[in-house]
Amino acid sequence: MTGYDIAIVGGGPAGLAAAERTIAAGLNTCVIDEQQRPGGQILRQPPTGFSVPGWLSGAPYRTGRALLRRVEADPRLHWLGCRSVLGITPCAQADGFGLTLSGTGGGLEHIAAARVIIAGGCYDMPVALPGWTLPGVMSAGSVQTLIKAQQVLPGQRIVLFGTHPLMIVLAQQIVAAGGQVEAVCFAQPFAAMAKAALAHLPRAVRTPGPLAAAAAGMAALRRHGVPVRYASPVIACEGADAVTHVRLADGTALPCEVAAMCYGFLPQADLPRQVGATMRWSDPAGGWEAVHDDAMRASVPGLYVAGETTGVAGSDAAMAQGAIAGLAAAQDAGALTPSQAHAAMRAPRRARAAMQGFIDLLRAVANPRPWLPKAAADTLLCRCEDIAAADVDRAIADAAALGDSFGASAIKLRCRVGMGLCQGRTCEHAVIRRIAARRGCPEAVVAGFRPRFPARAVSIADLLDHAE
Amino acid sequence: MKRIEAGVTRPAPIAITIDGAAVQVHPGETLAVAVLAVSRRFRDDRAGQARGMFCNMGTCSECTVWVARDDGAWRRLRACLIPVEPGMQVRTRPPQPAPEAMT
Repeated sequence: MTGYDIAIVGGGPAGLAAAERTIAAGLNTCVIDEQQRPGGQILRQPPTGFSVPGWLSGAPYRTGRALLRRVEADPRLHWLGCRSVLGITPCAQADGFGLTLSGTGGGLEHIAAARVIIAGGCYDMPVALPGWTLPGVMSAGSVQTLIKAQQVLPGQRIVLFGTHPLMIVLAQQIVAAGGQVEAVCFAQPFAAMAKAALAHLPRAVRTPGPLAAAAAGMAALRRHGVPVRYASPVIACEGADAVTHVRLADGTALPCEVAAMCYGFLPQADLPRQVGATMRWSDPAGGWEAVHDDAMRASVPGLYVAGETTGVAGSDAAMAQGAIAGLAAAQDAGALTPSQAHAAMRAPRRARAAMQGFIDLLRAVANPRPWLPKAAADTLLCRCEDIAAADVDRAIADAAALGDSFGASAIKLRCRVGMGLCQGRTCEHAVIRRIAARRGCPEAVVAGFRPRFPARAVSIADLLDHAE
Repeated sequence: MKRIEAGVTRPAPIAITIDGAAVQVHPGETLAVAVLAVSRRFRDDRAGQARGMFCNMGTCSECTVWVARDDGAWRRLRACLIPVEPGMQVRTRPPQPAPEAMT
């Protein structure tokens, strides 16, 4: 079993910023990621054999790209790409943690690390609405990463729908790639977005970069004639074998080959949950975020968390948190004195604090909660096990008959919701919302699915091969 | 699906087979792109309804396809994470004999 001082899960902005600090402190550091190359989703790189002039040359990507170049070129980095982390357990021999990894194409391996930094990022919130299982309906992040990394457009005519202003950025990227954006459909009225923004504007202007980028993005879409609709919720995706159009609440049908949803993002939380770290419900979008101290230490000794795993706040915040987590891990490992670490944390802490205004503004503007579309009775909530909303609601009614303290696992046992390949990442937030509505309690107090090994899909044959 | 051409250069194409048909792909592309080049459909669900890819980041497992290993055994894998290799055999329907289970 290979041993490291520091294992970092996730090679995005947070993980790379952490790695830069632990490597600089002289610690033997590996970064594990499912992708071939470092960068995470925001900086997902084209394959090495591709040449893509001007790749992500925009200002919002500049700091992250510089970090990526520095860390990727560092020969001291142990890059463990094309690997999924299936499990994390405390390990007495390593005086730290044992991690079980699978190659994304098969095969298992174990590594040990004295300290683990989880920087797992986030994923697009999957929102169940009628027709959302039709081919061609996908997440906005899916379209965006296909463009960034694979240099393909999944279809010619694309509709973007949801509540998150990332749609403006994505629409620009689609147009620049030669695709056609049929429409950008914000569910909320423009006035609601403006009102939500105004309350946070005085603090948000401390980091004017993202605000300027948003304004420039809107102007670019106007120039290209991309229709941006407000108060235009999509209530269904329609088609026979694949999506052919989306249906708006006013009855309008918008034709498309691809319908991409963008209601915000959920933290990747499987691993901190699996190892027993304290989590809290993420407001307002939902999902579970890891709780940490002011140096990114999680509640489990030797475990650190950084970036979207601690609450979705964007890549600049992730880089600041990653640097702090790396410094804290280096301090706890004895590679930095407390005063050295504290001094080095000052700059990223200041940077992170300055961003809070914009982060609060974006959360308020993008808040999906009042605008989530409704699943029909036969809409699948669990896409892996094909469990419809009506089946879930029946299970919830059955559980409620026995008392009102039940959580998501009780519903999973009754109807198999969340039992499939995705380990509940797709449906858990929706199940929790439905339970909370039934119990009349806040979502934050509803227990989620019990975290299970393996955190990512792996073939039984690989597990069996390994057991022999 | 459409490959972005403006300014982008890719390695010379290779051939893989998807459901028995030859498909030209570029080294570095993922199986998800290879399947998308043919159809938005990746698999069928229990009711026989076509399903496509959803997240493109290994999180949702909607894009699983069957891939033949060197020893002839089939593995069900997330297409969005697997780079294509020359001669790769891919199925979007369960191959016979019955495929292995996946946890």
